[in-house]
Amino acid sequence: MRFNSLAFRLFAAASVWTFLVLPVAGFAIYSLYRQDVSESFDDRIRTLLTVILADSVERAGFEPGMPGDLGEPLFQLTNSGWYWQIRPTGGAQGRRLASPSLANASLPSPYESQVEPDDQGTRWMSSRGPANEPVRIAEMVYVLGDEATGPRYSFTVAGPLEWLDERIAVFRTRLAIALALAGAALLAVTFLQVRYGLLPLRAIERRLAAIRSGEATSLEGELPVEIEPLQHELNALIKSNQDIIDRARTQVGNLAHALKTPLAVIINEANEDKSPFARKVAEQASLMRDQVSYYLDRARMAARAGTIGRVSEVRPIAEGLQRTLERIYGDKGIRVLLDCPAGVRFQGERQDLEEMLGNVLDNACKWARTKVYFRAATRPATTRGGRVRLIVTVDDDGPGLTEQERARIGKRGQRLDETKPGTGLGLSIVNDLVHSYGGRIEFSASRHGGLNVRLDLPAA
Amino acid sequence: MRILVVEDDPDLRRQLVEALSFAGYAVDAAADGEEGYFLGDTEPYDLVILDLGLPKMDGISILEQWRRAGRKYPVIILTARDRWSDKVAGMDAGADDYVAKPFHMEELLARVRAQVRRASGHATSEIECGPLRLDTKTARVSYEGKPIKLTSHEYRLLAYLMHHNGRVVSRTELVEHLYDQDFDRDSNTIEVFIGRLRKKIPGDMIKTVRGLGYRLTAEPDEV
Repeated sequence: MRFNSLAFRLFAAASVWTFLVLPVAGFAIYSLYRQDVSESFDDRIRTLLTVILADSVERAGFEPGMPGDLGEPLFQLTNSGWYWQIRPTGGAQGRRLASPSLANASLPSPYESQVEPDDQGTRWMSSRGPANEPVRIAEMVYVLGDEATGPRYSFTVAGPLEWLDERIAVFRTRLAIALALAGAALLAVTFLQVRYGLLPLRAIERRLAAIRSGEATSLEGELPVEIEPLQHELNALIKSNQDIIDRARTQVGNLAHALKTPLAVIINEANEDKSPFARKVAEQASLMRDQVSYYLDRARMAARAGTIGRVSEVRPIAEGLQRTLERIYGDKGIRVLLDCPAGVRFQGERQDLEEMLGNVLDNACKWARTKVYFRAATRPATTRGGRVRLIVTVDDDGPGLTEQERARIGKRGQRLDETKPGTGLGLSIVNDLVHSYGGRIEFSASRHGGLNVRLDLPAA
Repeated sequence: MRILVVEDDPDLRRQLVEALSFAGYAVDAAADGEEGYFLGDTEPYDLVILDLGLPKMDGISILEQWRRAGRKYPVIILTARDRWSDKVAGMDAGADDYVAKPFHMEELLARVRAQVRRASGHATSEIECGPLRLDTKTARVSYEGKPIKLTSHEYRLLAYLMHHNGRVVSRTELVEHLYDQDFDRDSNTIEVFIGRLRKKIPGDMIKTVRGLGYRLTAEPDEV
């Protein structure tokens, strides 16, 4: 996932949300729990205090009685954190009672520390127990006997705050783990959600690749409504692109027709006459003819450059050329032998392939004695990430070319810009076309006696 | 040999007619597709030169209709559309050769000669009949190696007989193939030229087949 991606944006937004919300929620839950646990702790202490007070006062005369069994064994255990204590306060004299856990120690009195009582008459404070442990202390002050003169006794119960803190700490750990798991789960779900939500984009990517490679001509299929406008626009763009090319082609063709007939007239007229003027006109007209065909070919190529990929089946093209050439060279009785399996496809315009193969085959027919051999096959990619190639070879059984001659026609292809129009071999346009497709053309001696031309072109 | 030229450009049409006539062919010309189609459909041409971009009816449909109707004469397509796809389409429609504009007249004439020869079953540019020899390239006739001087009308007649030597050729066929459509078909020029040829060529090679026509042969009379 790269930073500059929709997936990253969506994922980052969701993550920020998760990391913001989860701690806040955690803190809220923690506070509520803490409050709840503290309150129930206080309730328990208060309940114990009430029981001790009631029990003791029931058994009392002027002295408080010993409370009965409280059902809390920790009151028996020394320094357990759970203590109770009954003692006179406010200067009164009298009996002092305490839980065995308190031993000889005593608990501090909120009453004496001037803590105000709550609405139930209980005074609360946090302090230290006999073992210097933090404790929660609740105290009620009760007058035995006559309200005005009776002795004032302090009833006190203490509970260990450690126990409370422990409970809260355990809860906090568990809560943190639970929230962390929830966070992780949320992130995972978000990740999947983003992937799922962006699936149509991947589909578009694949279909666009299919258009580029020529397997499709437009962006087809159901797409989410949000992307539909994009789909329409893209298809319109592809179509308008195609229309522009077709129009350019037609206009180039019209221009060719418009120029070539008058040129034919001029050339023939000038050839009839033997005056120096006519010779000059004939010479210049021939030059114009070459220039016209050269630049028309270039214009056709420019019209094609940058088009969205098309695929052309090789076999029907080869068969059409075979019929045509065998007829044109019927006088010589030339046979064009095809070896081209169905399904071999060229990545590019049909007209361009026709032009390349037509010129190469025509050249071969011109020089051949009786036979021209045409072979087309795909060669799988040789390197990783390489592309499938279309290999076309054309052989003839004619006289062939010497090594120097072959080198010369090969060289002409490399210096495209210096190529003069009308090289007479018909291979100049083949060279240009092959190079415009990033292909290669090679010449060698054929085992059939003549020239071997090998074209290496992109296959589909 | 009679040729139809279908070409809409008036200058080029005139040039073609002149050059072909000069080369010894009888030439008819049509300026648009409909006229061209009609002529080709009704007259017995030995060859047609057909432009593709024509007004009223395009060359490819004309050609297809001719071929469908069983017209067998060779057709040379003459067009500015020189892409191989155009050539393949033209040949598939039934053309025999394809010449791209602009062209050299000599080139076209050579193609015309080759097609005429091929259509009458001759493989080389020289046609022989016994001691008589016709070079279609140079339009020269010789007898036992000695050149015979002929006028253009005489040459046309002999060339047609040479192309079809051994076969009986009727007077009507000769008129149809040697003269363009404006020729007065009732005149007796054919007989006159046959008479002249018989005088120039030794060995009584042009036989009259009574009621049928003429036959050029090197064989002696089978009596």
